[in-house]
Amino acid sequence: MIHFMLNGQSVQTDADPDTPLLWVVRDHFKLKGSKFGCGAGLCGACTMHVDGAAAKTCVTPIAAVADKSITTIEGLGTPEDLHPLQAAWHEHAVPQCGYCQSGQIMAAAALLDANPNPSSDEIDAGMSGNICRCGCYPRIKRAIQSVSENALAYDAMAQTEGRA
Amino acid sequence: MNSVNVSRRHFLQSGAVAGGGLVVGFSLSGCSSAAAPLPVANTKGAWTPNAFIQVLPDNTIRFYTARSEMGQGVTTGLATLVGEELDVNPLDMDIRLAGVHEDYENPLFGMQGTGGSTSIRAHYIPLRQAGANTRALILEAAARDMGVPRSSLSTDNGFVTQGDKRYPYAAFVETAQSLAIDADAPLKSAADFQYIGRDSRRVDAIAKATGTAQFGIDVDIPDLHYAVVVRPPVPGATVRSAEVTAARGMSGVTDVFEIGNGVAVVAQSFWQAKQAAAQVEVDWHSVALGQLDTKALRADYTAALDAGDGVEGPDEGDVEQALSAATTVHEAEYWAPLLAHAPMEPMNATVWIDGDSAEVWTGIQFPFAVPAIISRVAGIPAEKVQFHQTYLGGGFGRRGSVNYLREATEIAVQSSKPIQLVWTREDDIQQGPFRPASLMRIKAGVDADGQLTAWDAARAGGNISPDSFRTLLPAAFPWMGDAVAEGVAQLSEMYFEKFATDDSSTEGLFEDYDHANTRVTHMTVDHDLPLTFWRSVGHSYTAFAKESMIDELAAAASVDEVAFRLQNTQNSPRLNNVIRVAGEHMAKMNPPKGHHLGFAAHNSFHTDVAEIAEVSVENGQIRVHKVTCVLDCGQVVNPDIVRAQMEGGVVYGLTAALYGGLNLEAGAIKESNFHDYPMLRMNESPEIEVIIIDSGTEPTGVGEPGLPPIAPAVANAVFKATGQRLRSLPLQLA
Ligand code: FES
Ligand code: FES
Repeated sequence: MIHFMLNGQSVQTDADPDTPLLWVVRDHFKLKGSKFGCGAGLCGACTMHVDGAAAKTCVTPIAAVADKSITTIEGLGTPEDLHPLQAAWHEHAVPQCGYCQSGQIMAAAALLDANPNPSSDEIDAGMSGNICRCGCYPRIKRAIQSVSENALAYDAMAQTEGRA
Repeated sequence: MNSVNVSRRHFLQSGAVAGGGLVVGFSLSGCSSAAAPLPVANTKGAWTPNAFIQVLPDNTIRFYTARSEMGQGVTTGLATLVGEELDVNPLDMDIRLAGVHEDYENPLFGMQGTGGSTSIRAHYIPLRQAGANTRALILEAAARDMGVPRSSLSTDNGFVTQGDKRYPYAAFVETAQSLAIDADAPLKSAADFQYIGRDSRRVDAIAKATGTAQFGIDVDIPDLHYAVVVRPPVPGATVRSAEVTAARGMSGVTDVFEIGNGVAVVAQSFWQAKQAAAQVEVDWHSVALGQLDTKALRADYTAALDAGDGVEGPDEGDVEQALSAATTVHEAEYWAPLLAHAPMEPMNATVWIDGDSAEVWTGIQFPFAVPAIISRVAGIPAEKVQFHQTYLGGGFGRRGSVNYLREATEIAVQSSKPIQLVWTREDDIQQGPFRPASLMRIKAGVDADGQLTAWDAARAGGNISPDSFRTLLPAAFPWMGDAVAEGVAQLSEMYFEKFATDDSSTEGLFEDYDHANTRVTHMTVDHDLPLTFWRSVGHSYTAFAKESMIDELAAAASVDEVAFRLQNTQNSPRLNNVIRVAGEHMAKMNPPKGHHLGFAAHNSFHTDVAEIAEVSVENGQIRVHKVTCVLDCGQVVNPDIVRAQMEGGVVYGLTAALYGGLNLEAGAIKESNFHDYPMLRMNESPEIEVIIIDSGTEPTGVGEPGLPPIAPAVANAVFKATGQRLRSLPLQLA
């Protein structure tokens, strides 16, 4: 039995310890926002936060996250209560097919948490693990910048809403 | 617009739903007697004036999108068309993805399908009419209910207004549903548009930014089991024998059995199925394709072009004579490789067969095929198949092929369980169907005045139409036996080999320029590779050959590349204008030292696009810094989505131009995942500027036309940077 925190709730699973976190979250806990794109750590569609850092969970065995804190896209914000990045994604009409976007937003959130005002090159570096086959890159960058330019507001919101 | 002028009134006679009861649908052809019920939500008190709109008692306006949403923004676009005339803000609508029904046919296809950048073009009038007629009924009902002249009433975003009083549409549906409209309501003039032509956000962005948009792979139903298929390394090979004992013994595994094209492993979770699939050992029958590698494929194409005895396409004037009279004659050969689509969401389908009925969840470009395929494979009546469309995690043509649905059904039948079949990324890249490889030769002549006089173009490669027939005929003609359908597919193979060109193989190779003497020849070389549509289809490779050739000719004749294109597109005024605007833009660009500008222009899917690529070459690496895209797609419904589609087309096309190539080794695709079939990433993605020329003519496609010009624009810039003409894709410097 492996125990961890999932979006602030204490959970446990008897899945095989080798099972990647992605599949435990999708198939056992039925949170379908995190996606399967490659299964090999190459595309970022499965990105979640493990103790606040972005991780490719298709190659993260569940054993490796025992007692850690996992945040998925569902834990970041909801349609009724959008995270600033999610609001920016709407504002800048970022998604096309949308399949990569949970992973993109989780990667962007981790990037901004570590570096609230990244340069264009730093955004490139922070986001280059995430593929968007639809080619939303210019908009993803614009949306991240729109949030980072308001870095102070972003921090304040994150603190008041316990999202830091 | 004649081709889409379907009998619109029938949208409107589709009658009423009282108290959430039966919804009766009527076909576009007006044949209403045998119509199936509309597959819309059975919400109590909802009024469903047509297949696209529902007005709920709480004044929610629901919109059913008939076209598949694969990222191209069609849901927002179509909701905008309805909303404009119904007077409801598309962003306030409750968006639903339509099930399968004849009312959801694509008027340009005659069946329910999405592709060919047709959606806005096909629905621009019919959906506005559906909105306008519904609004007219509501206004008429309001006038009667309120006992006032209709002219005293207006509407505003879902409300009937009288002076400063506002009444929800829902208040009048009881009367409205008893009314019949006897003429189509007039449509707004463009000057009155409040949504069409304006930037607006996407109706699906919040769902997609919060992980709540449902894709096929996200479907979950009780007792769902997951299936992975062990597939042959060589596409098309079948199982001779399989050793499955180890797989059967693994945890969570419930079934392992042979299906038509491999061995299915069924387990309680996808991960368990995938682990167990790795333990299955299969001995495969050998097939002819098993002899082939990329070098041999290309050599076969070369031999076919050398032999020269292909099928004649367009043939005008006297090419030989014009070539001998020309002052500049130039000939070159261009190569484009096999490609996979690699949509971000791997192929999947969820099928639940329950007695003699079935439910299916998948994201698919051709919903019309779903009931027929399930019926055929599972032996249940097509009317008993309920289809749930999901969002498509990318399509690009790949989700127009229905093989994944067939497989899922086969597995559901054999296992007697609700099944979600998921392809792995390796399956996706290695199994096809693929974008065909192509070898193209163009020989062209220019006279002393810089006028193109002769264009002799040939292409060797496989055709996509026979495989499309192979997969879609059994769906389109349910009465047709499998053997007959296969026979027709084989006949079509022979037909395109011997008698006529498959248009999708040569489209874009010859149409854009004004050469009086034109000859197009096609050599079919078929190696039994599974082939299909790939974003922009034939244009994805023909534009590379054509626009490289044009650039080479201009250089050979010492004429400016833009002036040369302008001079030779007099018969295509809209393309000519796009080239002119883009050329003026390019003249003003001032690239930093070491950066070079390449130009290309192409018409596809009725849209004209010119692209300028700003490129540098450093240490043998091609780097694209900026792309400027100028287009004319007629009346724009949502400029921001047009820009997004151009951005997406450029990135997709640039991925192919810089990296894309599948290689065959003994009939198997060598590449397997994103490490060796790389995708452009953010750090390699150029800045993209889009300039829309609003010519106000009828709307044309945007999902595909942004792609074709990018590869030649980059290649032409590389020539300026290095003097090297790169004639093979992906572009690699010697
Ligand atoms: S699915 Fe995890 S990185 Fe691609
Ligand atoms: S939006 Fe389709 S893959 Fe990114």
